[in-house]
Amino acid sequence: MIRPQDLGHRVSFRMPRIDVVKGSIVAVILLALVSWSYILLQDSTGFGDLFSPSTWRRGSDFVGRLLGVGSAGTPAFLTLDAWVDGGRLAYKTLAMSILAAVFAGVAVLLTFLPGARNVASGELGSGHPMARYPLFILVRGLFIFSRAVPELIWAFLVIFVLSPGILTGAVALAIHNYGILGKLSSEVVEDLDPKPTRALQAAGAGNSKVLFYGILPQVMPQFLTYLLYRWEVIIRTTIVVGFVGAGGLGREFRLSMSFFHYTDVTVLLAWYVILVVFVDLVSSWLRRLAR
Amino acid sequence: MAFSLRLLESRRFITLVLLGALAWSAYNINWSEPIVHSGGGSSLVTLVKSLFTPELSPSFLKLALEATWVTIAYAVAGISIAVPIGLSLGLVASGVLTKPGAQRRVVMVATRLFLAVIRSIHELVWALLFVAALGLSPMAGILALGITYGGILGRIYADIINDVPDAPLKALRSSGASEWKVLLYGRLPLALSDMLSYTFYRFECAVRAAAVLGFVGLGGLGLEIQLSLDDLFFDEVWTLLYFLVGIIILVDLWSSALRKRLVS
Repeated sequence: MIRPQDLGHRVSFRMPRIDVVKGSIVAVILLALVSWSYILLQDSTGFGDLFSPSTWRRGSDFVGRLLGVGSAGTPAFLTLDAWVDGGRLAYKTLAMSILAAVFAGVAVLLTFLPGARNVASGELGSGHPMARYPLFILVRGLFIFSRAVPELIWAFLVIFVLSPGILTGAVALAIHNYGILGKLSSEVVEDLDPKPTRALQAAGAGNSKVLFYGILPQVMPQFLTYLLYRWEVIIRTTIVVGFVGAGGLGREFRLSMSFFHYTDVTVLLAWYVILVVFVDLVSSWLRRLAR
Repeated sequence: MAFSLRLLESRRFITLVLLGALAWSAYNINWSEPIVHSGGGSSLVTLVKSLFTPELSPSFLKLALEATWVTIAYAVAGISIAVPIGLSLGLVASGVLTKPGAQRRVVMVATRLFLAVIRSIHELVWALLFVAALGLSPMAGILALGITYGGILGRIYADIINDVPDAPLKALRSSGASEWKVLLYGRLPLALSDMLSYTFYRFECAVRAAAVLGFVGLGGLGLEIQLSLDDLFFDEVWTLLYFLVGIIILVDLWSSALRKRLVS
């Protein structure tokens, strides 16, 4: 999870004259009213259906089928084969999530410095001023763009280029998380204490020395923590990129749903939850070590 | 024993774990097949080229604008379900209103577990399950969004409410305030700014999630993107993505303006 105070934005933004808080309250209420009335005024909202007995019957039928009621033959979750097959997919899915986190992490490490406001202004480190600002805008633009597009849509685009498989899913997940991690890491640099780097510069350290002994040691623990938090989010999303043929649990889940193999769905969902819990535990253990 | 503990605590150990994990994952890629499929290279060129030539005809812009609105409406509706779920369950999970004791521990742990279960399943998976159960309707998507995000918000709200500094609360209690009053006049005002900024961050995520819900058949940007992708109209895809980026930037600006006001 990302702590709210870590999401602070430093976008410089001239305040309009109106009171932001009051305006926001009014805007939120209006937005909620307009949205709900728009949705409820559509022909088939499904809102009325929520309270009809037939919906509830269909819902409980569905849950029953997940639990193997009326399935032909042995429900999948009672056969060892289904669990072994699911386990093999879960294993691949775990590999996909780690690859995605590593790709995103490496890409961020290569680009997060120019994306920090204090580096762009020359407060921290050096570099040619004519290069710093365009680079800052370029990197921040990249961060916003890759972050604004969800993983699934990236996966749809990546699948046009790469062969289906866990690598495709990993690349799609990495692109989206690159934007999120990059923004967070740049903000860590912006909050950095400039004194150690100044001391290093005063002692005659060159650029790379300032980076390795002044900036990175301060940034790395926080960066690792974010990376591990994102890994927890990534493992949840692997199932979604799997839908478009990126392999792993998601692909099989989608197929089983469309073939109405509901007891297989139950096995896959169980493996999915096991993976999510496993990654949460490992990540919190590693985060404690990284601190 | 002492040696192994020191080894466990060292940074080198983390580096080793991370490198080992990377090697293991790379080993799992299917290297026998070509990574870029035939025609992948030319699709990449087309994709990148169309990035600079988005479809800008008035009729398509109108369609994109409508899809954008539908996506925003779903996101707002989903969040407006998630916030009450998060607030009520978050309060219970934080355990600030009940007296300490075994009963409170049980209630807190059970609520946190429930929140963990509903948020551990991705909203799109919830949506697929709801569509299977309720039929294809906007409500299926909105409920999916509301439930997942309710689970996430509940956990975070509980943490924030628990993390409020103790001194002001003690002052309230010593002046005879009940736990409800401590909550209303102490905890909530102190926690408000953090809670708001997190809710805004989640709203940003909800917009993305609502766009993705288009892929299970609900309208909005996701559906339009899928339709354009099916026809290989990459220019249209990029136009729709630019609209999505636009919403995200707007939400970002709004939340940072609001937070700046609340912090100062």
